[in-house]
Amino acid sequence: MLEAIDLTKNYGTPVPSLDQLNLRIEPGEVFCLLGPNGAGKTTTISLFLGFSAPTAGIARIGSLDVQTHPLETKRLVAYIPEQVMLYRNLTGLENLEYFSALAGQDRYGKEELLGFFDGVGLSREAALRRVGTYSKGMRQKVGIAMAVAKRATALLLDEPTSGLDPKASNEFSQLLLRLSGAGVAVLMATHDLFRAKEAGTRVGIMKAGRLLTTARTADLTHADLERLYLESMAAGIPDGSPLEEVAL
Amino acid sequence: MITRIARKEFTEMVRDGRFRVAAALVMALLVAALAAGWKHHVDSTAQRLTAERITRAQWLNQGARNPHSAAHYGVWAFRPQSPLASIDPGIEKYVGTAVWLEAHRQNEFRYKPASDATAAARFGELTAAVVLQLLLPLVIVLLSFGAFAAERDNGTLRQLLSLGVSRSDLALGKALGVASALAVLLVPATALGIAALALSAGTSGWGDGPLRLWLMGLGYLLYFGAFVGLSIAVSARARSAQLALVVLVGFWIVNGLVAPRAVADLARGAFPGPSSFAFTQAVREDITRGADGHNSSDKRLDDLKAAVLKKYGVKRVEDLPVNFDALSLQAGEDYGNTVYDKHYTRLWDTYRNQNAVHQWGAAVAPLLAVRSLSMGLAGSDFEQHRHFATAAENHRRLINRIANEEMLKTEYNNWNDEVPAETWAKFPEFRYGPPGVDWVLGQYLPSIGLMLAWCVLATAAAYWATGRLRPS
Repeated sequence: MLEAIDLTKNYGTPVPSLDQLNLRIEPGEVFCLLGPNGAGKTTTISLFLGFSAPTAGIARIGSLDVQTHPLETKRLVAYIPEQVMLYRNLTGLENLEYFSALAGQDRYGKEELLGFFDGVGLSREAALRRVGTYSKGMRQKVGIAMAVAKRATALLLDEPTSGLDPKASNEFSQLLLRLSGAGVAVLMATHDLFRAKEAGTRVGIMKAGRLLTTARTADLTHADLERLYLESMAAGIPDGSPLEEVAL
Repeated sequence: MITRIARKEFTEMVRDGRFRVAAALVMALLVAALAAGWKHHVDSTAQRLTAERITRAQWLNQGARNPHSAAHYGVWAFRPQSPLASIDPGIEKYVGTAVWLEAHRQNEFRYKPASDATAAARFGELTAAVVLQLLLPLVIVLLSFGAFAAERDNGTLRQLLSLGVSRSDLALGKALGVASALAVLLVPATALGIAALALSAGTSGWGDGPLRLWLMGLGYLLYFGAFVGLSIAVSARARSAQLALVVLVGFWIVNGLVAPRAVADLARGAFPGPSSFAFTQAVREDITRGADGHNSSDKRLDDLKAAVLKKYGVKRVEDLPVNFDALSLQAGEDYGNTVYDKHYTRLWDTYRNQNAVHQWGAAVAPLLAVRSLSMGLAGSDFEQHRHFATAAENHRRLINRIANEEMLKTEYNNWNDEVPAETWAKFPEFRYGPPGVDWVLGQYLPSIGLMLAWCVLATAAAYWATGRLRPS
């Protein structure tokens, strides 16, 4: 479970990077944060990861405050950036083993680790190769394998599918759905409305640090979502008005 | 966790071709330097033993001779080289290893290889100590400047920090990774060093050699530890790996090249020593004119003569029951000794003060601390040279006293009067025992303190910097 309560981050600019975000993502939910660059999506993820301290408000993972329990909350969550970066002198398997061990899962044998590669659709041949030769799609899959191996209860994704071809992107969505099916709470920042509709259970639209709208993807068609997004971008920022859940 | 991190760092380094080349190069240099040092040690020890035998045999086989003539003939004192000097020859080349012990005069040391070398030798001397003090820190910098900075550049740091690993585990793991890579480099050389030392055990007269070796190793470990800590701290704080490298290489240059030069100039400026010529002049002046200027050698001789004649109640020296020449010679020795003591103490205290500047210079550059300590433990430093020189001088005075006692038995004013050939065996052979480790450590308290301080501060800096590590 991921929870933000009045979460605010101000780097000293006139408009805060994140302004009173209230959000709760239950186990099994995939929440997609939509919005242009600078809307506050990455700031939200950084606050959940404890990489920066909030100006006000609380970020919680499970029932723990990220600020007061930095190591414990990181143990619960897995993070997949826009580019999963790996140690290029190590094989895919060694990378997975290392990241898992550091995440506290140090008892996996080689077969189990290779099993994670099977699970995300990476060949065993690739797993034993040094990652210098991996494509972006392969790296992102290793990222998912790392999240699975970590047994994370929450997943933070920062534009994980940008730059992936449609097939790789689709495979990625399938893996996400499998994870959420297993009870993982997922927060994904993305530009990709199509991917949000496909993989997400809820979407939230952000602009200039504010979460303007949230909606259930089941209630929306692709066209509805696009219209909602464009309207939100066009509209001025509502001043302190409570968040509205759009029902169509 | 820590060992897991260290293992990964190590694996990455070993797979990096650049590390393999650098490691092979440094290892080869170290082993070559050790082998060359060892060869020199074995050869010079053999030469010394031969020379000691020869000088003793020559002394014993002088035949019937006038004792003062024998004292002029003199003997050589050779300084035994510590086996550890094959690692760190220190100032040995500059101060020499042999001194001629003769009547009247405290001689300077001879056989200084540096005086035969060209100026180019100042730059190119390859000793194990140079490799350890100068090259190894550079290897440490190259191994660890990227510890955090390169991960930040590559983007892995953000993921690493999202895992929930404690910062101190990360810092320790990274440090341990560098340490194990270094260990691979150093283990062959260390094994070689210990084996060589074991071979020489007992033959050298340096009974505490093993203890000295361990302490020397410990000193170098602290030095390397300081460099690892600093490198990790800088790597954690620097915005990029490139910047970290520039900062660390800058420190390496100051530590290894700039500070030693600057401190040497500072030490000479603060405590200038006399030129060899001026020193000799001053000694001669004091002996002929008297140390206080009112007590010339002629006046001293007259006073002695008056006192002796009065003591024996005779009018002429020819009527004395003893050879007055012997008394006069010994009086001359005694007076000369006070003059030499005065001048050499002043000279050596000047050098000691210069060395103190070097030791305290370690506040700026840890190299200066480890260099002093290493030389001290190797027995090739100034203080142990002085220790030997003092022992040799005491032996010279002993020989002269015995010679003058024998002289008493010869006829006055007959410099050809001889004593029998057996006489020479009464003179003991020079035997030198080097000072113990505790004495050596006592000379280097500032270096020990500053080396520990560097290590502690570098560790603290590494902890502080990793605690404030920013993911990007």
